[in-house]
Amino acid sequence: MLRSDRLLAYAMILPVVIAVVAFVVGPTYNVATLSLTQVVMGQERGFGTLGNFRALAADPVFGLVLQNTAIWILGGTFLCVTVGLGVGTFLAIDSRMTGWLRALILLPWVLPDVVTAMAWKWMLHGQVGILGQTLQSSGLTEGTVSFLGDPDLVMWMLVIVLIWRKMPLVALILCAAIRSVPDDQLEAARMDGANAVERFRFVTLPNIAFSLTAVTVISMIWITAEFALPWIMTGGGPANASQIMATYIYQQSFEFFNWGVASAMSVINLFMLATIVALYLYVNRRSWASEESK
Amino acid sequence: MNEQPRPLYWTFLGIVGIVISIYVLFPVFWLFLASFKTQAELAQLPISFWPETPTLEAYTALFSPTHQKGQLLDWPQLIGNSFFVAISSTVLVLFFGTLAGYAFARLNFPGRDLILGGLLISRMFQGAALLLPTYRLMSMLGLQDSLVGLVLLYSAFGLPFATWIIASSLREIPKELEESAMIDGASRLQSMVMVVLPLATPALITASMWHFVGAWSEFAFASILLESNANKTVTIGLASFVELFTLEFQYVGAAATIVALPIMLVFFFGQRYFTRGLLAGAVKG
Repeated sequence: MLRSDRLLAYAMILPVVIAVVAFVVGPTYNVATLSLTQVVMGQERGFGTLGNFRALAADPVFGLVLQNTAIWILGGTFLCVTVGLGVGTFLAIDSRMTGWLRALILLPWVLPDVVTAMAWKWMLHGQVGILGQTLQSSGLTEGTVSFLGDPDLVMWMLVIVLIWRKMPLVALILCAAIRSVPDDQLEAARMDGANAVERFRFVTLPNIAFSLTAVTVISMIWITAEFALPWIMTGGGPANASQIMATYIYQQSFEFFNWGVASAMSVINLFMLATIVALYLYVNRRSWASEESK
Repeated sequence: MNEQPRPLYWTFLGIVGIVISIYVLFPVFWLFLASFKTQAELAQLPISFWPETPTLEAYTALFSPTHQKGQLLDWPQLIGNSFFVAISSTVLVLFFGTLAGYAFARLNFPGRDLILGGLLISRMFQGAALLLPTYRLMSMLGLQDSLVGLVLLYSAFGLPFATWIIASSLREIPKELEESAMIDGASRLQSMVMVVLPLATPALITASMWHFVGAWSEFAFASILLESNANKTVTIGLASFVELFTLEFQYVGAAATIVALPIMLVFFFGQRYFTRGLLAGAVKG
């Protein structure tokens, strides 16, 4: 390899590397040091303290935030993948309609979060929302339901909207995996007298196991990073009933200016992300290895 | 061989398909319909499905300078700002992403795979955890209420993925094409621009579409960085309706339609490229 080519290569990748170091690596380092600094009203007073983490642990809302975040990430991921598997299996069927649906179903995925949040806020509106009105007029509920105002309900409503938004891509990825299951294996199973459910369980599922694992971990990353949807729909309310890590960080940073607590929570959030990313790299080690050998 | 009788099977498929279509389309369509209804109709029960007296009042209100509903936001200005941010950062991403993508795909240098892997992983760390430090960084640089600052930020967020998409497509193009151009006397940059890039056009389109959609839709960082009304973007404008505790959903519907329109156009006209990037991107997070 020519020396000039090597220099050219570094010059070509330099802008991208600088951009990522400045706007991703730098801020990550900055929030980590901030979390270990005593901050009073935006003024830094001394580095090397765990005071922010103690303050966070003492915050009565903290437990609730962890619980809601668990519903958000674990409940959201589980439902995304199970519903996605069902829809993906359906989309994998050969017909003109499913081909058309495979294109259409991405619509929720491409729409901006803010639009999705507003569309669902309108449907779930407590008095004149179409969902509540339909439930009432069909006699399923006594009155209208305050979907986003009921502390017991609100977190699950957010998860439902999350599924609407994130499930399509999961379904599409699994659909692609299912369609690449070798026909001769399915045919052989059919010859041996396996019915549709058995063929799915013993032929399709083992073949798509890798995609299923990968897509589960990727969904977790997406859902952990999601902020705009819950923030616009509920802002963490009512009374913190739907406060998750992302909304809590935003609120503490930019509404209460509690930078110490906000940075401590950010660091916890980054550790969670790092754990999931590590899991992702582990799951995907095969495909990364093959990429690097090219 | 006890397969279901075909007609029943196809009817079942049709029903499931219709249910999925309604599920996907209804929430958006319902808000779209609201944009043509009147204030009175939105508040009345039972709910009417189609607008009884369709009106464009909500749209004209958003675009008239005298109509100052609550937030005093000027929608033509918001739309202009959003286009400025999305288009400028797409141009930056495309330019620098192509340079880097070419280097990663074609040149051999120490640390190549490690750096590309690191860039891709950095993409996964872009959630709420970086809001506070990014705000501090941008204030320090004096870019906190600036559209140019937002352009730089979005470009930095979008570059790793664009680089990766472009690099993987360049790897598919035979090296011999380029080598023969260089034997004929073309420099490396000439052969890159004249020979390689035209063949990589689909990947360039995919990368631009993806970045444009992401930059146009971004809300979190825009909401913490942009302070003056003259600098706000469409997503901020739409989200600002949350603060109005009223039933004026015709304005929300009209605003949401405006925000969604460019994305829908990209989605429908570039379906082929879009899906390509989606499935490729999903594999790498």
